[in-house]
Amino acid sequence: MLNMISLFLISIPVGFLGALTGLGGASILVPLLVLLGIPVKEAIASCMVAIIATSSGSASSYVRKGITNVKVAFYLEMFTTVGAIVGATITTLIAPVYLYFFFAGFLLTSFLKSGEEVKDDWATPEYQDKLSRWLDLHGSYFDEAKRNLIEYKVQNALLGGLGMLIAGLAAGMLGIGAGAFKVTVQESILKLPPKVSSTTSNFIIGMTALAGTSVYFFSGLLNLTLMAPMAVGTTLGAVVGGRVLNRLGNRTLRILFYAIVAFLIAQMLYKGVTSI
Amino acid sequence: MNSEDRFDRAIGYVLITGVVISLLVEAIGILLYYLSYRHFNISEERALFIHGRNFFDFLIELFQGGSMGKKAVFLMSLGVIILILTPYVRVLMSVLYFAWEKNIKYILITLFVLVLLTISLAV
Repeated sequence: MLNMISLFLISIPVGFLGALTGLGGASILVPLLVLLGIPVKEAIASCMVAIIATSSGSASSYVRKGITNVKVAFYLEMFTTVGAIVGATITTLIAPVYLYFFFAGFLLTSFLKSGEEVKDDWATPEYQDKLSRWLDLHGSYFDEAKRNLIEYKVQNALLGGLGMLIAGLAAGMLGIGAGAFKVTVQESILKLPPKVSSTTSNFIIGMTALAGTSVYFFSGLLNLTLMAPMAVGTTLGAVVGGRVLNRLGNRTLRILFYAIVAFLIAQMLYKGVTSI
Repeated sequence: MNSEDRFDRAIGYVLITGVVISLLVEAIGILLYYLSYRHFNISEERALFIHGRNFFDFLIELFQGGSMGKKAVFLMSLGVIILILTPYVRVLMSVLYFAWEKNIKYILITLFVLVLLTISLAV
């Protein structure tokens, strides 16, 4: 029986797993709520708000340590916020049946980075295009594992921005952070170092979620009794997950996460097909 | 410490402070919900959904009409408001920081996001 206490208790391990695997908790929570009988649009709206807490809470310490590239984040947020507002507006307008399929489709992109451990072959690009240089997109951070200062330049600002527009659209539409997608754009297009990429993505997710929330806030979909326990639970889980992140070999958890995601994709497809 | 490091620190603290206060308020809201309804059920009652015209009107109404029996709903709504204001204040601070640094490009970039969010919350 789903109530606020059981939802709170479920949200803790979900937030923990989401932070540990870098894939976020909402992509598990939305389909889980649907499975438990909550209307899909309500689940999406409530998760969108909870993400502001989860993401801002876990982004905080990396910003203070200067690992997050704040300028890159500000630039990319122009794109994600526009995407999220458009995406959330679409969700409030379309029939729920489409959302099951969109959700299942987007969950598949979580597998883009499957099996991948933190890469060690990263190298900063030699030159920058005009726009990236004009935007001063470069930075440095102190790598605690390697004990030295890592300097880097960012490439392909325009293409990266467009990638983020899509990430924002998906995030706003589906009530998720779309972290895996954002990290992929930042690493393969913008060439950010992996650590900067994951922490910057986390930082951006909070702003993107706010943009989505600004649409859902008065759509009549925001159920306080769903949102409150999820926000508290996932954030607690994510903060703990973020702390053990560097100490755990997380291969087993990654496999567990993917098994859950695969099950949830199947469930969303089933729900979609049966409600046509 | 240079001004950029200080700025990073400041927004880091704004984020964590906003989140902690908001979640504490939510948790108290859940407890008060239990005390007035005697159960923890997920409710489909209209009163437990956010409703109204826009964010700024909602804010004004919230503080005018918080009667005793509605304390739980009031606190849970207040928690959401604080949560929404957390990244909002973060953009606002960024605009001011870049204005102080006289960095025109980034004033425009952060201002774009601030104006967009304000409009989206206001309509």
